[in-house]
Amino acid sequence: MARFEFRLPDIGEGLAEAEVAKWLVAIGDHVNEDQPVVEMMTDKATVELPSPGLGVIVEQLAAEGDVVKTGSVLYVLETDARIEIGNSGHTPVVTREEPQDADAPAAASAGVLAPPAVRKLARELGVDLARVKGGGPGGRISAEDVKSHASGAPAPAAAPAPAAPGTRIKLRGVQKRMAETMALSARTIPHVTGFHELDAGAFAEHASRLRADAESKGTRFPFDTLLVRAVAMALRKHPIFNASIDEERGEIVMHENINIGIATATRDGLIVPVVKNADAMGLDELAVAVGRVTTAARDGKSSVSDLQGGTFTLSNTGAWRGGLGTSLIRPPEVAIVAFGRIEEKAVVRDGKVLARPVMPMSLTFDHRIIDGEAGLSFALTVRGVIEDPEQLGA
Amino acid sequence: MVAGDQSDPADCLILGAGPGGYVAALRAAQLGRSVTLVERGQIGGVCLNEGCIPSKHLARFAAAKSAAERFAPSGMPAFSGQPDMAAFQRSRAAAVSTLVKGVSTLLEAAGVTVVAGTARFVGRTRVCVEIGEESVRYFDFKDVVIATGSRAAVLAALPFDGERVVEPSRALEWNQVPSSLLVVGDDYIALEIAVAYARLGSAVKLSAPGERLLPDFDRDLSSAVMRGARAAGVEVLMSSDPTPIAANAERVVVSAGRRPNLEGLDLQAAGLAAPNGLFKVDAQLRLDRHAFAIGDVTDGLPLAHRAMMQGRAVGDVLGGKAGGFDSQAMPRAVFAEPEIAAVGVTEAEAQASGIEVVIGRFPLAALGRAVVEAATAGFAKLVFAGEGGAVIGAHLAGPSSTELVAEMALAIEMGATAEDLALTVHAHPTFAESLMEAAEVSLGRPIHVRRAAKN
Repeated sequence: MARFEFRLPDIGEGLAEAEVAKWLVAIGDHVNEDQPVVEMMTDKATVELPSPGLGVIVEQLAAEGDVVKTGSVLYVLETDARIEIGNSGHTPVVTREEPQDADAPAAASAGVLAPPAVRKLARELGVDLARVKGGGPGGRISAEDVKSHASGAPAPAAAPAPAAPGTRIKLRGVQKRMAETMALSARTIPHVTGFHELDAGAFAEHASRLRADAESKGTRFPFDTLLVRAVAMALRKHPIFNASIDEERGEIVMHENINIGIATATRDGLIVPVVKNADAMGLDELAVAVGRVTTAARDGKSSVSDLQGGTFTLSNTGAWRGGLGTSLIRPPEVAIVAFGRIEEKAVVRDGKVLARPVMPMSLTFDHRIIDGEAGLSFALTVRGVIEDPEQLGA
Repeated sequence: MVAGDQSDPADCLILGAGPGGYVAALRAAQLGRSVTLVERGQIGGVCLNEGCIPSKHLARFAAAKSAAERFAPSGMPAFSGQPDMAAFQRSRAAAVSTLVKGVSTLLEAAGVTVVAGTARFVGRTRVCVEIGEESVRYFDFKDVVIATGSRAAVLAALPFDGERVVEPSRALEWNQVPSSLLVVGDDYIALEIAVAYARLGSAVKLSAPGERLLPDFDRDLSSAVMRGARAAGVEVLMSSDPTPIAANAERVVVSAGRRPNLEGLDLQAAGLAAPNGLFKVDAQLRLDRHAFAIGDVTDGLPLAHRAMMQGRAVGDVLGGKAGGFDSQAMPRAVFAEPEIAAVGVTEAEAQASGIEVVIGRFPLAALGRAVVEAATAGFAKLVFAGEGGAVIGAHLAGPSSTELVAEMALAIEMGATAEDLALTVHAHPTFAESLMEAAEVSLGRPIHVRRAAKN
């Protein structure tokens, strides 16, 4: 049995570090080659790192939530397999594996006897020499051995159907993550959406005033600040919206902190930077926090912690003249609120038709744990705060 | 002049035109990449200009004298007069210049753009090259290869003064043989310089820190070079403090290992790191998706031929080929007295890692060619993985060992067994026969030595 130190490979474009999102196996577990061992999260994607060989996990050198530098040891695998550098490139690990000491004495690898030209052929054909049975004396591996292994090896899954014509763009990075999260959401969560039209006259004035104040002080006051504040207040009052479902344990987890994710469109796709403890900040402080995380997200400079720990998501489509629409909840969260553009609409007040600024709002919640009444009740709280914005503070 | 944001695109940027960098450049260019090669010193690097090439020039120059002396008992008249070191220096410079021109011509023919300057990273994909005092150029690269090599390490007790106390490279440039010379160190560089100058008539002391010369070689080779150095006239002082001895020497050469040239590169700007001062690379020589490192800046033996092989491998990778550096055998050649060479594992390493080995040892005293050349002190010691198994190490002492080791490197790469070696005809009478004979010894059926009693 040899100890193989699995080092964090470069899992994104030259990223220097990644966070341990989740250990998928425990110490003492047996793993097969290519079995996912750990889920790593970077600011761009979450990646499962498969085991490079058959063995037993004997050490984990980082805990969930730890940030690990590329190249440092993540875990130790006790293995009989000779872990080789592959070339097939189907996972990040294979293209960027454990650096080997190429000057290691030959005896260290006396188990694989293959001349240089055969090793080159193996690289070209993506054959792992450790799995080739050598037909020569003492198990020496010939070019023929490698070729027959390559042709006899199971084809790498069924050949994909011939591609239909058209420009093809590989799903990856943020976009791939979005695809996975949204599909999971739609597949697993029974969504219910309520639509609301809020009288936003006072709110808009309040926001303009705060913005003007900020500008006179040379600071910024992002519009989303007030929405975040309003939602944070409602979450404090309706804690079931600030929860998540632990399906494995069959439990609802009520979160202590109110961490509001702000859905942000970027060139690469949807990113949701999080304002932590949104209800615990003064308005000025909140404005700075909202400005910082959304700007960083748009610039592609979000830190890993900026993208983590969200307990509820807010989406504001106003800047794109968005109206009413539904949203998908980001699992494991249980609700999401979306606001549209404030526009003048005909509103009936005291029997008269008035033109009033109206802000559309849709509240989508997970009907597994939130019922219609709770949903309306939450919406009513948000409505109350927005229609009487003095409550939001100045 | 401030160049600001003006930058040039560099498809493939290679930092350092030593044996690693220039080979990588040629191979990548061969495979269609557009290559920019940055060098702050001379094309060919340390190896060509002030290391391997001139040091072997000096070693062979000095050995010519001792070869004649070996034949003195056969009637060759004794050398009279002193070697003309000024003439040697002209010849050394000419040889270096010929080789540097050769490499430059190859680079030019391959369409490699050579930039003379000192590079440092200023971003993930950007390098700033300082050209002279005033001028800078920026390059935005797609791929970068760090091949900046190494320099002599400094011994705190005996810092270089550039004149009396010098690094090994400077000792190759002297116009006179010093009357007394202290060489400090226990590596092959120290040993080669000590032996060469002793042969050229200097009173040489070799001060080694420990109790072995070449401590990372097979013990038998350490003993062989110790005896040989003494026979060549070197006063070898083991486990000695060089500082008091240095005071009385006309010249002092300090060889304290090699230090990778990474300091000025500002690796952090590129998001790169070299833990413990050396890069750990994978078989594709990668640091990350677009950065590679080869040669003395990587973890491993600081040898030109290692860098060159890595250069070819990284050139292949850059050219989209299935390149890889997975050499099983890394030969080492030492031009001391006697010449020694080694490849693969030593007996001690094999034992330490629990591999059962069989040793085949053949003394040159039993070899016709060695007898006529009066060079019978050497031996061939081969390490096999079990009886009749593959050869996994070779440790050679004697004339032409540095050539013979190539056969053993090939044998290891090919997985040749003791039988393969024993059944291959070796020309007679040559030193190479010692390899075939050593294989026979390991199989318990030697022809030219008496069979050892089984114990």
